[in-house]
Amino acid sequence: MASVAFDSIFKSFGSTKILHGISLDISDGEFMVLVGPSGCGKSTLLRMLAGLEDITAGTIAIDGRVVNDLDSKDRDIAMVFQSYALYPHMTVSENMGFSLRLRKDSVRRIAEGVSRAAKILNLEPYLERYPRELSGGQRQRVAMGRAIVRDPKVFLFDEPLSNLDAKLRVAMRSEIKALHQRLKTTTVYVTHDQIEAMTMADRIAVMNEGRIEQLGEPLDLYDRPANLFVAQFIGSPAMNVFEGVFQEGSVHGLGTRWPCTAKAQAGQSVKYGIRPEHLALHSQGIAGEIEVVEPMGAETEILVKVGGQTFTVMTHGRATVGPGERVFLAPQAAQAHLFDAASGRRI
Amino acid sequence: MRKFSKEAVLVLLAIPILLWTLLPIYHIFLFSISSKDSAFSGALWPDKPTLRNFGTIMREEHFYLHHFWSQIWNSLWIAVAVGVITLAVATCAAFAISRLKVKGGRAVMNLALFTYFIPAAFLAIPMYKAMGMYGLLNNRWSLVLAMVTLAAPYAIWVLKQASDKLPYELDEAAKIDGATPLQLFRLVYLPLMTPSLIAIGTYALLLAWNEYLYAYLLLSHEQTIPLAVALGHFIAADDSPWELLMATGLVYALPPAAIYYVFRRYMVSGLTSGAVKA
Repeated sequence: MASVAFDSIFKSFGSTKILHGISLDISDGEFMVLVGPSGCGKSTLLRMLAGLEDITAGTIAIDGRVVNDLDSKDRDIAMVFQSYALYPHMTVSENMGFSLRLRKDSVRRIAEGVSRAAKILNLEPYLERYPRELSGGQRQRVAMGRAIVRDPKVFLFDEPLSNLDAKLRVAMRSEIKALHQRLKTTTVYVTHDQIEAMTMADRIAVMNEGRIEQLGEPLDLYDRPANLFVAQFIGSPAMNVFEGVFQEGSVHGLGTRWPCTAKAQAGQSVKYGIRPEHLALHSQGIAGEIEVVEPMGAETEILVKVGGQTFTVMTHGRATVGPGERVFLAPQAAQAHLFDAASGRRI
Repeated sequence: MRKFSKEAVLVLLAIPILLWTLLPIYHIFLFSISSKDSAFSGALWPDKPTLRNFGTIMREEHFYLHHFWSQIWNSLWIAVAVGVITLAVATCAAFAISRLKVKGGRAVMNLALFTYFIPAAFLAIPMYKAMGMYGLLNNRWSLVLAMVTLAAPYAIWVLKQASDKLPYELDEAAKIDGATPLQLFRLVYLPLMTPSLIAIGTYALLLAWNEYLYAYLLLSHEQTIPLAVALGHFIAADDSPWELLMATGLVYALPPAAIYYVFRRYMVSGLTSGAVKA
């Protein structure tokens, strides 16, 4: 186990700047998730930590030791790739024991290491199979097994669940989380899926265009997003946002008044954000018209049009309304978020 | 109905093409089982088919066949050497260009391919001169080196294309697992490239086995020439023993046919891999 420290990391490919001075400290044993849209630089940052990309400027330290000039193999890390990257000509057991074989460990130690990892991941029945004979989930487990066998200081995961179907993804999510709780190895996990980030992370770094927009615990990010980008990126369905003008205790926008307890300067142009579960259908309030009703079983997602903008409302249970009906929205004033209209920063 | 008519057209086209291909082979076979007198009878099947020609060859009982065994050994030696050396050169080059991404690798590959703009026949005389300067004329190595020069660019190109298709994550995973470039080459790259390596090795081997022009130029002693050149000597005289020429030709065609048959699976997949981006 070890801590990881990124200090003012810059990365450029030619004249294209990818990362603009990332600083991030990851504690010993922490599960850190880097999340952000495609092209935000999260995978590049992970690959730099893995030693697969050069660092343009800044330092990366593992356990206090700067690793900028160290080869991947000398960093004591293990990585799980999106495409699994299993050696197709080797059996599961050979795949898992490959790093130990390269380290010239004895046959007995390799067998012990493989057997220990196989036991943790329930891979014992598959040890003599080839990757092509395994399902996607089993392959991903082998990739994780290969990482565990090395007993590294830091685990790196690069979108490991993206190639799996939705059901398997949920199952593997829990497995990875359980694995971390068992091994307590420092983990850096990259994903573009904010649900993965929310469910797995001790802390999340939300990245956008080569910068960290916000760093914090999952629910902190959800409850108090630092800016509009984080507000709209974290949470599914996304937060409803529109522009209005703050007046004593409410925001005037879309031809009506929206209550809020947060305060801005009177007359200030703001963005009003409200999460779908903090909007309810009521007998009175803000008038709108239902566009679509999406029943999901336990919950129902209702799209309501107010003043030309569509709002998502999430209600528990079944909906008794249908498209075209006129309804009233009641926002929970204490749950409304205000952002500066110009900068997008939280007020 | 449309599918049926399409297949019928294809079959109708295939039949004459197949006959066109098989006819010369049948002709060779016919000659080789005919006696000298009946070889030119024009019959579709000889009155008295015989295997005597093959016995004559095996026992080297004819003026043109006095060195049959040493000549076929030369052919084999040269072909195997060309196959092995081409494979070694091209595999290392493809690995360096495609996986290690060495600077200037692509330029080297393109330059090598550029040599195909010059017909091999044009290069024959400079090659002869060069081998002469190195004192290699009449040495089997001269032909081996010349053939490797001709086979390597294509071999590098095919292997480079095939290497490009291997996921780069495998290299990265091996790197993180602690593999040096040499270990990556030996333990990951070579096993995964096996089908392409067999295809290219076979290609180079057959190229050398079938070579005539360079062999004719660079080697001239009866003891050093391969069988392909020796076959050419058969028709030097007015009274050529055609039945023996054809029988020897048939024997000469058997090893490549056998090699092709054994490795046919790899030949198709290996030579076309990388031709189209998956």
